[in-house]
Amino acid sequence: MIAAPTRTLAPQARLVWGAAQLGLWGALAIGAAMLSQVDALDWWPLVAAVVGLVVCVPLVPILRWRRWRWDVQEPGIDIRHGLFSVRQTLVPWVRVQHVETRRGVLEQAMNLATVVVHTAAGSHTIPLLAEKDAEELRDRIAELARTDPDA
Amino acid sequence: MTGSPSWPEPTPTPEPPPATAPVRRLHPAAIAVYSASAAGNLALPLAVVLGMSVLGNGLDLMDLMRTLGYGVVGLVVAVIIGYVRWSTTRYWISAAGISHHTGLVSQKDTNVPFDRIQALDVQQGVLQRWFGVQRVDVQTGAGGKGGEISLPALLPDAVAELRGLKPSAVAEEADGVSRALTRRELVEAAFTAGQLGIVLPVLAVIGQAAGQVAEEEGSRNAVQLIPDTAGGWVLIGVALLVLAWVLSTLGAFIAFAGFTVTRGEDRLRIRRGLLQRSEATVPLHRVRAVRVVEGVFRRPFGLCALSIEVTGYAEEASAARTLFPLVRVGEVQEFLDEFLPEMAAVGHGERPEGAVPARDRRTRSAGAVVALDRPPARAARRYIAPPVLGALVLVVAGWFFVGPWALLALLFAPYGWARWRAAGWRFEDGRLAVRTLRIARTTVLAPARYRESHTWAQNVFQRRAHLADLEVAFGKRTTARIRHLDAATAQAAWQAL
Repeated sequence: MIAAPTRTLAPQARLVWGAAQLGLWGALAIGAAMLSQVDALDWWPLVAAVVGLVVCVPLVPILRWRRWRWDVQEPGIDIRHGLFSVRQTLVPWVRVQHVETRRGVLEQAMNLATVVVHTAAGSHTIPLLAEKDAEELRDRIAELARTDPDA
Repeated sequence: MTGSPSWPEPTPTPEPPPATAPVRRLHPAAIAVYSASAAGNLALPLAVVLGMSVLGNGLDLMDLMRTLGYGVVGLVVAVIIGYVRWSTTRYWISAAGISHHTGLVSQKDTNVPFDRIQALDVQQGVLQRWFGVQRVDVQTGAGGKGGEISLPALLPDAVAELRGLKPSAVAEEADGVSRALTRRELVEAAFTAGQLGIVLPVLAVIGQAAGQVAEEEGSRNAVQLIPDTAGGWVLIGVALLVLAWVLSTLGAFIAFAGFTVTRGEDRLRIRRGLLQRSEATVPLHRVRAVRVVEGVFRRPFGLCALSIEVTGYAEEASAARTLFPLVRVGEVQEFLDEFLPEMAAVGHGERPEGAVPARDRRTRSAGAVVALDRPPARAARRYIAPPVLGALVLVVAGWFFVGPWALLALLFAPYGWARWRAAGWRFEDGRLAVRTLRIARTTVLAPARYRESHTWAQNVFQRRAHLADLEVAFGKRTTARIRHLDAATAQAAWQAL
C-alpha cells in the first residue's frame, strides 16, 4: 500500500461541507414534505430525506475530511481522497500549466481557498485549503514555472 | 473580429512598413473568401428571422419575398465587407518578422518574429481551389484557434516566398519518409469508418425536425408514420443504421482522400482532404501519445487507424489528430518505427531482441499490437458481470412494453466479456501500453514521462479483492485507463511512473 500524503485540508472544511449537506438534504426534505401534502403520497420519501439529514449532515463532512490528503513533494502534487472509491493522483510539477484560486462566500468568511491545478489534460481541485497553504502552493508553482524551461 | 486595443500601447504604433520591405497584398480572391465568411456570419440572424415567420403563421409569399430581399441585401453587405477587408489587408516581411495589417474602422496589427514561427500551415478550400490560390496560417506557440496571422488567398509564388523565410517550419517531402494513402486503402478506410457515434445524433436531430414538419402537415399523416409494432421500430432502426453508415462512408472519403503523412527532421506534416485540402504541421515534441483504434468494422479485417495526442493543439483542425487513417494491425510497429519511433511500443526497436524476457503470462493474442499483461483472473467477473446484469434488467423491464423483442437486449450481455478479452497493459522501460475496449478496441502507446498526471483508484468492492484501477492521462483526449489490476501491481506502477 502506498503511503497517503500527510497534509489535511483546513479543519473548517468540515463546516463548509456540513453546510452544503444541510442545504442538499434540507431541500430534499422540504420537497418531500410538500409532495406528501399535495397528493397524499407515501410518507417514505420524507422519512428517507430526514434519515439522510440526520446521518449525512454530521457524518459525511467528518469522514470526507479524514480521507482528504494532499502534499507537495519532489515529483509533484500528490492528492488522495474518496470515501467509497479512493483515488490517488500525482500531477508532476513540469506539467502544471497554471493555478487558479477560487473563494466562495463561505470560504471568504472562513479564510479558506480552493486551488485548481490545470494541466494540458484537465484540472485537479484541492478544495477548502487554509489560506497560507493555498498561498504556498501558488508560490511554489510560480517558482517552478520560472525555473523550469519545459513549463 | 478585428478589435483594436482600447488601451495605449507601450510602443506608440507598430512600426510602419520600411522602405526596404515591399508591402504585399492578398490575391483578389480574398474578397470572395472574406465575403463568404461575412455571409456566414449574416446567415444565422437571417435563418432566425425566416424560422420565426415560418413558425409564427406559416410560410406565405410575402414572407418569402421579404426573406429573399433580406438575403440579397445581406449578400451585398457581405461583398462590401469582403472588399473592404481585402483592400485594407496587407502584410510585409522585414527584419522584425512577418507583419500583418488589417481593418478600416478598427485596425489590427500583428507581428510574428521569425523565431516564434512554429509552423506555416497551407490549406486550399473550395474557394481557394477555384481561384488557384492557397491559404497560409502562420502558427506560433500561442495555441489560439487558427493561425496568429491568417492569409486566406496567396498565389503559389507568395507561398513559396513565405516558406523560404522559415524553411524549418515547413517539412519538405525530400527531408523525410513519407506515406500516402493508396486508392485501395482509401476505399477500405471509407467503408470501414463507421463513425456512427458522430452520425447518429445528427440523424436523430434531423428525424426530430422531420417529425415536427410532419405534424404541421397534418396529424393524421404523422400518426401513420409512427410504427405501431416493434417490428416496425426495428426496421426503422436498421434503416437509420444503414443511412448512418452510408453518410460516414461518404464523410470518410471526403476527409481522407489524398491523405499523406511526411516525417521531417523535427516535425510531421499531414495533408488530407478532397473538397478542402488541408495541411497541418505538428512539431514532434508536442506529440504525447499514439492511439491505435480498431473500430468495430475494422477489427474483423485486422485493420486499424492511428491517431496522435498533440498537446496545445486541442482547438486546431482535426487534421492534426489523425496520424494515418488505415494501417494493418500487424504493420503498426513498422509504421511507428518509421514515422514516430519516439512512440513505438515497449521493448521494440530500442533494445536487442533477446533482452526481453519471454514470460508465459504475457499474451500476444492474435492481432495485438504489442505483447500485453492481462489483469488477474479474479478480475474477470468484474468485467463480465455488469453488462450481463444490465442486459437482464433491460429484458425484464422491456418485456412489459415490447414483449419478446426485449430479448434483443441480450445482445448487449457479451460486451463485458469482450472488454475482459481486450483489457491489457504493459509498463516497461518507461514505455506504457494500455489496451481497452469501448465499442472500438483502443491501444494507447506512449512514453510514460509524457503523462500529464496519473491516478490509482480503488472502490469498496475492489478493496476486498485487492484490485485497483490505474489511469494515466496524456492529454485532453487520451487517458489510458486499465481497470481491476492487482492492487499491489497497480500501486507499484503508480509509484514507478
